[in-house]
Amino acid sequence: MAIPLLEARALHKTYVLGGETVRAVDGVSLSIERGEFVAIMGASGSGKSTFMNMIGCLDVPTSGQMILDGSDTGSLSSDEMAVIRNRKIGFVFQQFNLLNRTTALDNVAVPLIYAGQSTVERRAKAKAKLTELGLAERLDHTPAKLSGGQQQRVAIARALVTEPLMLLADEPTGALDTQTSTDIMGIFQRLNEGGITVIVVTHEPDIADYAQRRILFRDGKVIEDAAVSNRRKAA
Amino acid sequence: MARIASMISGWAVNVSIALTALRTNLMRSILTTLGVMIGVLAVVLAVAVGSGAKVSVMESINTLGSNMAIIFPQPESEGGRRTETRGRLTERDAQALEKQLSGIVGIAPQLRATVQLVVQGRNASTSALGITPGYGVVSNITSDVGRFISDADVRTGARVIVLGRTVATTLFGELEAVGQSVRVNRIPFTVVGILESKGSSFGQDNDDVALIPISTVRQRLATGNNLQGPDDLHVLFVGFEDGVNLPAAKKDMTEILRNRYRVPADDISPFTIRTTEEFMQESSKVTGIFQGVLVAIASISLLVGGIGIMNIMLVSVTERTREIGLRMALGARRRDIRNQFLVEAAVLCMIGGAIGLMLAIGVAALFESMADFPAPIGLGTSIMAILFSAGIGLTFGGYPAVRASKLSPIEALRSE
Repeated sequence: MAIPLLEARALHKTYVLGGETVRAVDGVSLSIERGEFVAIMGASGSGKSTFMNMIGCLDVPTSGQMILDGSDTGSLSSDEMAVIRNRKIGFVFQQFNLLNRTTALDNVAVPLIYAGQSTVERRAKAKAKLTELGLAERLDHTPAKLSGGQQQRVAIARALVTEPLMLLADEPTGALDTQTSTDIMGIFQRLNEGGITVIVVTHEPDIADYAQRRILFRDGKVIEDAAVSNRRKAA
Repeated sequence: MARIASMISGWAVNVSIALTALRTNLMRSILTTLGVMIGVLAVVLAVAVGSGAKVSVMESINTLGSNMAIIFPQPESEGGRRTETRGRLTERDAQALEKQLSGIVGIAPQLRATVQLVVQGRNASTSALGITPGYGVVSNITSDVGRFISDADVRTGARVIVLGRTVATTLFGELEAVGQSVRVNRIPFTVVGILESKGSSFGQDNDDVALIPISTVRQRLATGNNLQGPDDLHVLFVGFEDGVNLPAAKKDMTEILRNRYRVPADDISPFTIRTTEEFMQESSKVTGIFQGVLVAIASISLLVGGIGIMNIMLVSVTERTREIGLRMALGARRRDIRNQFLVEAAVLCMIGGAIGLMLAIGVAALFESMADFPAPIGLGTSIMAILFSAGIGLTFGGYPAVRASKLSPIEALRSE
C-alpha cells in the first residue's frame, strides 16, 4: 500500500498556561490517505485547532511524530516548514484572510511569490485558478468589492494555486450564510473528486456531513473516527 | 541565471509590496519620511557648504601664485633653542638663492609700507608693496591698463606707481588714472598702470594695494621698522616651476640661508619659510575639520529621522501581524518577511532621501546665486546621499523587520 499522506503517531502537544500544563493534543494516532475528504470536529478547546496547526506545519508536536508525505515534520527547520506549507498545503481560513487593497489576482498570486516564480507565471496561474472558480470577471476587484462567498472562492483559488497535496480549511463557512456555505462545500467536494485531499475543521455537524470521514476530538483525544453515514452532496 | 532572475523579481515584489503598504498609510508615510528628508537635506547641505569653503580657500591660495615659497625674516616660533641672531633677509640673500636653486621661475623681494595717497582732495590709505618685476611673474599678476613696474624703474628708483583696482577707483573714480599724478606720503608719483583685479580672499580685498619699485620705497618712503641694513627685505617670494618638489626646495633654501648666516646646527633658523603647498595642506585640514563638524551636527537630525523610521516600522509590524501570519502560512520564510519590511523601510528612506537631496540642490543653488558662496553638490555626494538613506532604512528598519520575522505564524494569524 502507498504511504499515507499524513500519519500522526502518539502525537502530544502541551502548553504551559498560567503555571498549569495544558494537554492540547493528548496522544493522537491516526492516518489520512491521499484523496480523502475528512472533517475534524470538536468543541472549542477540544484540541482540533492545535491538531490542525500541526498538520499544517505551523506548529511542531511536543512529542510523537507527524509524518507528512513521508517526512517527519518534527525534524524540520522553520524554512523547511515554510517550503512544505508553500508546496504541499493550501490553507483556507474562516475570515478569508485576503490582503486588502490588493486585487483578487494579486491575492491569489501571493503563494507563488514565495515559490520564486516570475511575475508572468504568477499572473497566468492565478488567472487560471480564479477562472476555474468562476471569478474570471472579478480579477481586478479588491476584497471590499466582493461578497463573502466570492472572497472565500478567491481564498480557495489562492490555496490551490501552488497545486498542493491537500486543502486545509479552518471553519471555512464560519463567516458565511447557509446557501453560500453549501456552495463552498460543493466546491470542496468537486475538488476532492478531482483527486485532492480535503481536510475541513469545523464545529458544525451539518458541514461535517459533506465529508467522507469524520474525526471527533474531545479533551485532546480522538473519541470517534468513522465514515459519514449520510453523506450530503452539495451539487 | 534563473536563480538571479528570481532573486531580482523577489526584490521587485518586495518593492511593490512596500509601495502598496506606504500608499495605504500615505499621510503617515509622508510624515515619517519628512524626518529622513530633513536629515538628508541637512547633511547634504553641510557637505556642500564644507566643500564650498574648501574650494574658496583653495582659490584664495591660488591667487597668491600656484607654486611658491614665502620667506620672512622672523624666526619660527615653535621649539628649538632661541636664536641669538635677529632675523634678517637681504637682497643679497635673494640673489644667492636665485643663483643656487634650480627650477626657479622668479624671485620677488619685497618691502612694505603703509602709505597715504592723495589726489585732488581725494585720499586713500593702502599698503604699498616695494617690488621688482619678478613679483608679477611669481604672483602671476600684471597690469591690465598701462604697464607694470619695469627693471628700469627699479634701477633708477623712479617715482612711478601701479594701483590696485580698488585704490584707483577711490582716487580717480571713473576717470582715466594712468598718466595722472598722485602724492604718496606727499611725494609726487606718476600712475603708470592699473592691476588686473584679483578679487578678495579671506574677506580681504586683494585690489586694495599699490605697487612701487622696491628701490623707490627704500629711498623715499619711511619703512623704518626692523630693517637693519641698506638692502634688507620684509619678505621674499620665490616662484618655482610646476612639478618642483616644494618640501625639498624648502630644505635647500633653509640650508643655503643657514649657511649664509652661519646658524649653529641646534639653533632655530632666524627666518621662516612657508610654501603654498603647506598653506594648502593646512587650510584643507582646517576646512576638513569645519566640514566634519558641520556634517556631524547635521547627522543628528538624520539620526532623529532614523529613529522615526524605526518607530513607524514597529507600528507597521504590529498593525500587520495578521498579514505576516498569513504570508507565513502561504509559504513565506522568515527571511522573506524580514526582507519585506527591510525593503519597506529602505524605500521609505530613499524617497525621503531623494526629496531631501533635491531640496538641498535647490537651496545650494540659492546660496550660490544670492550669497555668491559656492556649495557644490556633485554626483558622488548625490549617490552617497541616496545610498546613505537606504542605509538608514536598513539600520533602523532592521530591528522591526527581524521582530516581524520572528513572529510565530499561529499567534500572528490569530491576532486581530
